Amino acid sequence: MSSASSGERTQLPSLRRLKERRYLRLPAPPPPTPTTSGDAGAPIRSSSLWRDAWYRYLRNRAAVIAGIAFLALLAYCLIWPILSPYDPNAVDFSQANDGPSLAHPLGTDQFGRDLFTRTALGGRVSIGIGFAATLVILAIGVTYGAIAGFLGGFVDNALMRFLDALYGLPYLPFAIIILAIFGGGNFWTMVVALSIASWFTTARIVRGQIITLKENDYVRAAHAVGARWLRILGRHLLPNTLGVLVIAVFLELPGVILGEAFLSFIGLGISPPDASWGSMAQDGYRAYRVAPHIIIVPSIAIAWLILCANFIADGLRDALDPRTKET
Amino acid sequence: MTRLVVRRVLWTIPVILLVILMTFLLMRQIEGNPFRTSERAIPESIQANLEEKYGLDAPWWKQYLRYVQGVATLDLGPSLVLRNRDVNDIVREHFPPSLELGALAMLFALVFGIPLGLLAALRANKWPDYTAMVFANVGFAVPSFLVATLLIYFFAVRWGDVFDVPTSGWDTWQSKVLPTIALGLGPMAYFARLTRGSVLETLQQDYIRTARAKGLRRRRIVVVHTLRNSLIPVVTAAGPILGFLITGSFVIEQIFAIPGIGRYYVTAVTGRDYSVVMGLTVLLAMIVIVANMVVDILYGILDPRTREAR
Repeated sequence: MSSASSGERTQLPSLRRLKERRYLRLPAPPPPTPTTSGDAGAPIRSSSLWRDAWYRYLRNRAAVIAGIAFLALLAYCLIWPILSPYDPNAVDFSQANDGPSLAHPLGTDQFGRDLFTRTALGGRVSIGIGFAATLVILAIGVTYGAIAGFLGGFVDNALMRFLDALYGLPYLPFAIIILAIFGGGNFWTMVVALSIASWFTTARIVRGQIITLKENDYVRAAHAVGARWLRILGRHLLPNTLGVLVIAVFLELPGVILGEAFLSFIGLGISPPDASWGSMAQDGYRAYRVAPHIIIVPSIAIAWLILCANFIADGLRDALDPRTKET
Repeated sequence: MTRLVVRRVLWTIPVILLVILMTFLLMRQIEGNPFRTSERAIPESIQANLEEKYGLDAPWWKQYLRYVQGVATLDLGPSLVLRNRDVNDIVREHFPPSLELGALAMLFALVFGIPLGLLAALRANKWPDYTAMVFANVGFAVPSFLVATLLIYFFAVRWGDVFDVPTSGWDTWQSKVLPTIALGLGPMAYFARLTRGSVLETLQQDYIRTARAKGLRRRRIVVVHTLRNSLIPVVTAAGPILGFLITGSFVIEQIFAIPGIGRYYVTAVTGRDYSVVMGLTVLLAMIVIVANMVVDILYGILDPRTREAR
């Protein structure tokens, strides 16, 4: 199944893999499932790995706080626009540029729109783009990485060299070109633009994971009893990459959210009448001299989300692989 | 070592060809024709002549080969909108400010980020560590446009009488301070976090214990044994960070009205000057590719283990 060359590569870490381990501090593959029953090849959900990880996560105070703050932000964005007494698009110049007050907890923008409501609405768009793009990134990355890692040999080599080449792509210019092809920024074109040049790292992670997993005894056993490749891949290899993928979601999310904000800020993404955190920041920038709070509000929302995502990713990494626990 | 360097340098050639090809194919997908404007119809014959002049009537692979030939001879072709200028002129004019801004921001990030991370690691879990890490985490999460706007607001609007810094342009040294900080803050925070983690890891190595056991002075242990070995991940991260500085400069150049490449790029996209977009994209890609190459080679020098692995 595995050619000699790919076997060698797992022994001698290549330059790239060493680099990535350091750069992202990737977890080593999750420990073999600690079930003692004879069913060694069973998917991990039947074991206590996830429950163990959950308890380890709960012991990490920073990660728990980040998780709660993250959920609170999501709930606010989803629920508040329904409850809010203000129309997020109603213009009222008599109340323009007001600072925080009881009626408007975060103040109003230069058109007199309630910022607390608009930030929630913009969050729906920004976080929505963030999660959608992250899913696309994972889908492409898993497919590509699984093919490379599973087939090994010549195919793996070719796919990885191709990936090395793609690593040179500057991400924002390519996103801008993609937007130009679609003729402008809206929710779905932003998702495509932001995911198309960002899946390389995920593909590498999945490939590395698959290659290491392939050497496990239960995979050899499955192979020996005559399981077909689709079954080995779908039942033994991919479920065991799930831990890495959960972490990858929170590693990719900040980049995509920032990408949306940058693109919208320079006027190529979501454009101002529609709210996204990036387009709100653009609005705020136009008025910063008289009302700096208008740009501060969406920026803090962005920072909040990125901070949470970073701590959640750290917590998940420690929880899913205790061996890489930091001092 | 020489073999590694030669191989790594030669490897960039197919990579650059591939990146040009991808950019080229993507650019062809953009709707519209630079000559066929809706306001003023151009007769068929003139249209054909124009297309012939710019070589747009040839099959795509011929156009691609000609473009590669142009890049190899450092000719990025004419601008489609500004009739009497070519992309080289634009690069010559707009690239130096961007390069300077990127270099200054990188310098700022390294000079402040590494000591901050080192300090945090050497005082781990005490107040200097907590202060530095709160600063680093927040600095990493706050988008650069907020940093830039707040810097302008406070130093030029609020306390403008005291500081009197210009908020736009790129000529005097005063005008370069705020953009450098705004662009460099994120990478600085990132380097600080990276250095801290890496130093903590190194401090647990056996050779540090050995150095301590044989009675070396603390300063020597920190500088020679710890820091040198801890900087490897920082060097590794410098490649991706350079990409971040380039992309980040799109926003910073816009805010501070710096006549750099990021700002011109946006102008070219909205003005549909596709040959300029193409040329600048290829240029940016080549910078990232070369930066990654330098990082890989540096990595081989710093960490002998990776030399044998390839």
